[in-house]
Amino acid sequence: MGTDVIPVSVLTGFLGSGKTTMLRHLLGQPEFARTAVIINEFGEVGIDHELIAASEDSFIDLQTGCLCCKIRTDLAQTLADLLRRRDEGRCVPFERIVIETSGLADPAPILQTLMTDTTIAGRLVLGGVVTTVDAVNGAATLSREGVSQKQVAVADRIVLTKSDLAGALTEFAEPALLHRLEELNAGAPLLIAEHGRIDPRLVFNAGLYDPRTKSTDVLAWLVEESHGHTHARHDADIKTYAIVLDKPIRAVALTLFLEALAEHCGDDILRLKGIVNILESPDRPAVIHGVQHVFHAPAWLDRWPSDDRSSRIVFITRRVPRRWVEVLLEAISEEVADVPVGG
Amino acid sequence: MTGAPVDLACELLVQSLVAWRVAGSVERAGDGALVIAGNAKDIRIDRAPPHLMFRWMVTVDGRQRPAISLVAVLRQVREALDPGYAANRVRIAVAPLVPAS
Repeated sequence: MGTDVIPVSVLTGFLGSGKTTMLRHLLGQPEFARTAVIINEFGEVGIDHELIAASEDSFIDLQTGCLCCKIRTDLAQTLADLLRRRDEGRCVPFERIVIETSGLADPAPILQTLMTDTTIAGRLVLGGVVTTVDAVNGAATLSREGVSQKQVAVADRIVLTKSDLAGALTEFAEPALLHRLEELNAGAPLLIAEHGRIDPRLVFNAGLYDPRTKSTDVLAWLVEESHGHTHARHDADIKTYAIVLDKPIRAVALTLFLEALAEHCGDDILRLKGIVNILESPDRPAVIHGVQHVFHAPAWLDRWPSDDRSSRIVFITRRVPRRWVEVLLEAISEEVADVPVGG
Repeated sequence: MTGAPVDLACELLVQSLVAWRVAGSVERAGDGALVIAGNAKDIRIDRAPPHLMFRWMVTVDGRQRPAISLVAVLRQVREALDPGYAANRVRIAVAPLVPAS
């Protein structure tokens, strides 16, 4: 990835979960001095942007509807406009973009826009998904609102907010809430915000691309999910698991595998991310990620990030059996085993 | 063409029915074909003759169609067994297949 790549972080979380409060705090930190902010509010009159003290020329309030269902084109256009203004010196040379979604937004289409829109491809990279969860009302919200489950499931970081209203972590965080979060997404580190305050470095360095080093940090991105052990979480619908393969995979097998996943699972692949040892490219692993039926073209790392050269693919799915995924990849790999390398 | 072992293909089909939440059964016939029953359909999957460019032949209620890969077999089987299935025709372009040097 080039040095001009700008990470786009998505801040999501259900209504009233403390997104704006946390963002207001973050924007006051030196680490966030060069951040452009896009806030999507649902409703005729937006107020969240009034709560954010951000530089006017790098702040955009989208009030035309919910990002997830109406204005994906608007989002891509807004991002393209932001980049143009930056290039022309008409706004601060921001080094990061944060999109605060509406509390009702399904984050998946937003992530898909970031991954696939040709007008912004090459300039922007998904910088991670941060989801706020209200420590007081979170358990009830998660049991009642399907979209809040999805917001948690796709997160790279989960931030528990309003802990100040409920006392110390061990007291306030009901076991039910922590259990629920672990069921939905045990791989995402759980962070605590008090009065919206949190260390910015913990929150928004969650993506594949590390803006500090201008390089990819795939191990941090994959976090613990990829370490080979199975997280046998048994939420009624959403499950997370990792598949680890020691043998390299043919490029064509990976293509067919992703195609079959998209074709047969579609919306039930909430998130997929991984690092893959491609037989034809032993020294340069492929980084893959997808949201529902949309898969980003692989990013090729310059080198392996560690001595571990196994392929590790993390799945967050809704009712997609792990065994089917395993045997699908195994069968496809066997089927193309007689194809000449590079064929 | 050789391709995946029949037993692995058989397990894939069994697991696929589970994943699709479709009622049915998968058995291996004495001649090596895979036979699937479900949704009032009779499906038979045979290896394609070696001189063809296809790997498999899928027969649904007597109508035989070739399939170039297991992914194509799955598509035909699901179309036959799952009336509510609307295949997502998206194609994944892993392009380039390998990194540019």
